[in-house]
Amino acid sequence: MWLPYALRRLAALVPLLFGVALLVFLLFHAVGEDPARVALGQHASAESVARLRAQWGLDQPLTRQFAEFLRQVVRFDYGRSFISNETLSELLAAGAPVSLALTLPPFAIGFAVSVGVGLWLAYHRGRWLERLANTAFVAAMSVSYLVYIVVLQYAFAHRLQWFPVGGYAPGLDSVRYLALPWLIMLLSSLGPDVRIYRSIFVDESGARYAWTARAKGASELRVFVVHVLRNALIPVLTHALGSLPYLLLGAFLMERYFSLPGIGDLMVAALHNGDFPVIKGLTMSLALVYSGVLVITDLLYAWLDPRVRLR
Amino acid sequence: MMRRVLPVLLALWLCGCGPCGRGGDSRAEGALRRLTVARLEAYKSLDPQRQFDAASADLVRNLYDRLLDYDYLARPFALSPNLLTRLPGLSKDRLTYTFELRDDVRFIDDPCFDGGKGRPLVVEDVIYTFERFADANVNALSYSLWQGVIKGMDEYRARTAELRPGADRGALSISGLRKLDARHFTLELTRENPRALLALASNALAIVPREAVQHYGDQFAHHPVGTGPFWLKQGSRRGVIVLARNPRYHLRYPEHGSAGDAEAGLLRDAGKPLPRIDEVHLPLIEEPQPRMLQFLAGQLDWVPFDRDTFASMTVRDTLGVRLSAAHEGKFRLYLEPDLRVDGLRFNFKDARLGSNRALRQAIAHALDASAFVAQMYNGRGAALRTLIPLPIAGSERDVAASAPSHDAQSIRRKLAEAGFPGGRGLPPLTVDYRSTTSVTRANYEFQRARLARFGIALQANFQSFTAYMKKVEAGDFQIIDFSWGADYPDAENFYQMLYSHNRAPGSNYGSYDNPEYDRLFEEIRFMPNGPERYARFERMNALIREDVPVAMLWNLTRTGLTQRWVRNFKYHPLLEVPFAYLDVEPRAPAQPRAPGTP
Repeated sequence: MWLPYALRRLAALVPLLFGVALLVFLLFHAVGEDPARVALGQHASAESVARLRAQWGLDQPLTRQFAEFLRQVVRFDYGRSFISNETLSELLAAGAPVSLALTLPPFAIGFAVSVGVGLWLAYHRGRWLERLANTAFVAAMSVSYLVYIVVLQYAFAHRLQWFPVGGYAPGLDSVRYLALPWLIMLLSSLGPDVRIYRSIFVDESGARYAWTARAKGASELRVFVVHVLRNALIPVLTHALGSLPYLLLGAFLMERYFSLPGIGDLMVAALHNGDFPVIKGLTMSLALVYSGVLVITDLLYAWLDPRVRLR
Repeated sequence: MMRRVLPVLLALWLCGCGPCGRGGDSRAEGALRRLTVARLEAYKSLDPQRQFDAASADLVRNLYDRLLDYDYLARPFALSPNLLTRLPGLSKDRLTYTFELRDDVRFIDDPCFDGGKGRPLVVEDVIYTFERFADANVNALSYSLWQGVIKGMDEYRARTAELRPGADRGALSISGLRKLDARHFTLELTRENPRALLALASNALAIVPREAVQHYGDQFAHHPVGTGPFWLKQGSRRGVIVLARNPRYHLRYPEHGSAGDAEAGLLRDAGKPLPRIDEVHLPLIEEPQPRMLQFLAGQLDWVPFDRDTFASMTVRDTLGVRLSAAHEGKFRLYLEPDLRVDGLRFNFKDARLGSNRALRQAIAHALDASAFVAQMYNGRGAALRTLIPLPIAGSERDVAASAPSHDAQSIRRKLAEAGFPGGRGLPPLTVDYRSTTSVTRANYEFQRARLARFGIALQANFQSFTAYMKKVEAGDFQIIDFSWGADYPDAENFYQMLYSHNRAPGSNYGSYDNPEYDRLFEEIRFMPNGPERYARFERMNALIREDVPVAMLWNLTRTGLTQRWVRNFKYHPLLEVPFAYLDVEPRAPAQPRAPGTP
């Protein structure tokens, strides 16, 4: 049942990826930075810029450049970065483990904590404790992510010296350097996630199956933990899995402030420098991963809820 | 299971999170002398002939050597031999230089050499490097440094442009470059040029061995093999880079300095072998806050100031800028003018501004560069009276130059003379900026407010650098903000910005055209510095003041802090990161010091 569905969805990726490639290509050529001019700077002559553009193949007709781009998508080889002369796989191999080490633990812990707290708040809805917690979470959401980083780095790393200000070491030593970034990511994500999950659980707790369970004598705690939680998993998973592909891109600000050698600013730097091979590779990879996650999410729906039919 | 695992994980986490800030400073334990300095951005390429960005240049300078370098202590800047036994001799017709290579220079050990042992430097390495520098398929970035300077080099470049990238250059050669023997060669100029040798101190002409380029191919950009004071022990573009001392390095600390150097303790290591330290650790720290926090914790030895920390850590009084009471005595402060000029340029092709000199004068006088630098850059700079940055010979330190008057009455008179009394009838003028950052926007607000006092309306066009350059090269603007950094430390490199033959799309973006200025420029172009040249500079400055192709000129100051334990630090804007000369006071065993203590 699920296999033909998954194959159909994967086949649908072909026109989707073609559309993404076309969009990226057109946007780059319409509004992107000229990589040769950025590399050569203000003092370079027009001839030097033209020569470098030729070396990078940017003087070719657009149709030929786009055909080459499509060939690269098929071969999954986007060439070497204009800036560092490294391939995308080399860039990812160097930085992706660090970015994932930075983003995965707070994502996993944050998911568990947010779902738990959201459920707890929904269970206690209307009480003073829930109102207090809600106010606290709204206040926490109102603070900029950058403020969390700047203030907590100053307080915990500089003043109290509980953590290093920055740096990274591979292996278990990494925990020492990642602990504060994890804490900040956890704190800053709790507010919005808890509020979303709380709303989902409150909505579900008013559904007819919940009232039926209550009418059959189930305790309110059982209604929430057994019935509401399970039925709410689909929107909860949709929200959580949707952010998975972005974990690979790391956390741009966090990596910059804590000097973590990840890939968080790979896309930002590529856009800034007009580094088209990296822009192409990252965009297409992200589109592919995102589409894959959507397929997996759909399959999970059917597994979690027998009423869902895959067609 | 979880009951067993959780305490272990918790213990690991707690062990890792103990106090780790100020326990030790950046100097390593034991006998190893280590310097730790943050890199501000990731390098792009360590191939000397393929790099042209500051982050790459900082590393290349320490991994490779050039035939000539700037003397670390001499001011004004002076060239000194690096891979040469002495400065090259010039023939009687002043067209041919003769070079003698040192006989004690070897490349570092590397698998690219026979048996992995670095071999001695020979003339063939110089020729190979010069040819690589001139190869159109290799060097797209920095050839202009020597364009038209060396006999036969432009022709060589044109021939290589016809080859495909990576093709064998075969029998091609540069006619002006001749080997005499294993240690001697000559270089013939196209014409007499006292600044021809300046390029030899550039990283783009750092000497590379053919074996390394062929062995590593594309990856040569990440596998440096040089003769420099350090070798790359650990390289991570986005992590920590470790440079280790080259034990066979040939240079020694300068024997002589400038006035005040001996008193400042800069000659304590005179004549001693370089480099002075064993390792340089270069973590990538892109944001100012963590950089400064690590410096304050004693984990970095040297840090440049950013706008905010400069304001919070320094005070300005009648004696100048100094560290505030909370920091005074803990660190050493340095302030050195940079080799660049910033300001505004007018477009002479613009119908309104190009033909209205009185209007340009009114705008130039209304914009007060001194107030701008004081307010927008916390005084980290100086208003300029000429186009030349202060450290360069021929600046207002050497020639007479008057400051523009900011007298309100005279500005109003100029405006009336321009046909716009009180600014009436003058449509808003547009300034094109080359970035969209908050700093640029704040700069615009300052300029807008100053001109609004006299009824001149200013509007901004913030854009990307590429979009800015397209408009500038097309001459499609009224006013632009501009910044020009020295390609080499000579006034000619700045005055050429107003030479009519360089009009847009050349570097004379505003297409200023004054025959007298052109004639003077052609005279000073190949003239050595001295009274004759400076007299012409004075006349050129008078023309600029009268015609106003540029306005609100200012010279940014490089400023930062070093720990008190760092020795031999003297900021040099052309060397930037002279790690080989720096040293650290050894740390006494079992006596950890608070940061800032010597």
